[in-house]
Amino acid sequence: MKIKKGFELREVCGEHIIVAYGRENIDFNKVISLNESAKYLWENIVDKDFTAETLASLLCQEYEVDAETAGRDAKALLDEWIKVGLVECS
Amino acid sequence: MKTIIKKLARVLLTPWRRRYQKRNGIVTNQPRHELPNDAWLGEVSQMLREGKPYAIYVKGYSMRPFIEHTRDRVFLEKRDNYNVGDAVLAQIEPGHYVLHRIIEKRGDHLTLQGDGNLRAVETCRVQDVSGVVTQYIRPHRTIPADDPKLVSRIRLWRKLRPMRRFLLFIYNGIR
Repeated sequence: MKIKKGFELREVCGEHIIVAYGRENIDFNKVISLNESAKYLWENIVDKDFTAETLASLLCQEYEVDAETAGRDAKALLDEWIKVGLVECS
Repeated sequence: MKTIIKKLARVLLTPWRRRYQKRNGIVTNQPRHELPNDAWLGEVSQMLREGKPYAIYVKGYSMRPFIEHTRDRVFLEKRDNYNVGDAVLAQIEPGHYVLHRIIEKRGDHLTLQGDGNLRAVETCRVQDVSGVVTQYIRPHRTIPADDPKLVSRIRLWRKLRPMRRFLLFIYNGIR
C-alpha cells in the first residue's frame, strides 16, 4: 500500500488534516481530520510502501498495546483509508 | 414592509426551491465539520503559493448566481497574472480572505466584488491574490472558467448590475 500522490498532512487551528491537491484529485471532496495516533502513523509511512502489519508494529513501538489490539486497530484504520480513497495498492 | 415582501416571496417560491434542492441533492441542516473560515482559507492560500492547486467548497452567498453555498466547489490555481472577470481568492486585510471577482484593475491595485453583492467592494493588490478559479465544480458537471458560455454569462451579469437587486431577489427566492 502507498498513500496516493497529492495527499498531504497539514495543520490548521491545531487540527491535523489531510488534503488532496492537484488536478488528479479534483474529485476528492473530503477533508480528513487525523487524531494523534493516526497522525503518528501517517508521518511514519508517508512516501513509503506499507501494510497493515507495518502500521501495527509502529503502534506497538509508540504505544503500550498488545500486538493483537494493535493489529486490529491498524487493520480498521487501513480499511477506513482504503474506503475513503487515501491509499492505493502498489 | 420590505422584509414582509421578502418573506412572502420566499414562502410563495418554496415549492420551486424544494424542487431545486431535491434535484441537486442539497441537504439543508446537515451537520458539517467546519474549520474557521479565515484560518482554512489562509492554509489554502499557502498551498496555492506552494504550487499545489486545490478544490474547495465555497461558503456563503456572495457569489450567487455563479457559485452556490456548500453545493459548489471551485478549483483554484496560482497564476502570475490576474484579469478583470477572474474569480480570485484574495487576502483583503491581514487574516481575512474572500473569493470574489475582479471588477477593476489599475496597475497592481484590484477591486473585487462578489457576484451576489450589490454595492460592497473590496480592494487589494495583485500580490494579495493567491489563486484564481479555473474550474467550477457543480454536482453533475464541471465547467472550466474559460468556457465561452460561462464567460458570456458572467459578462452579461456585470452589464446587468443596475438590475442586480431585482434579479437576486428572484434568484434568492427560488434557491
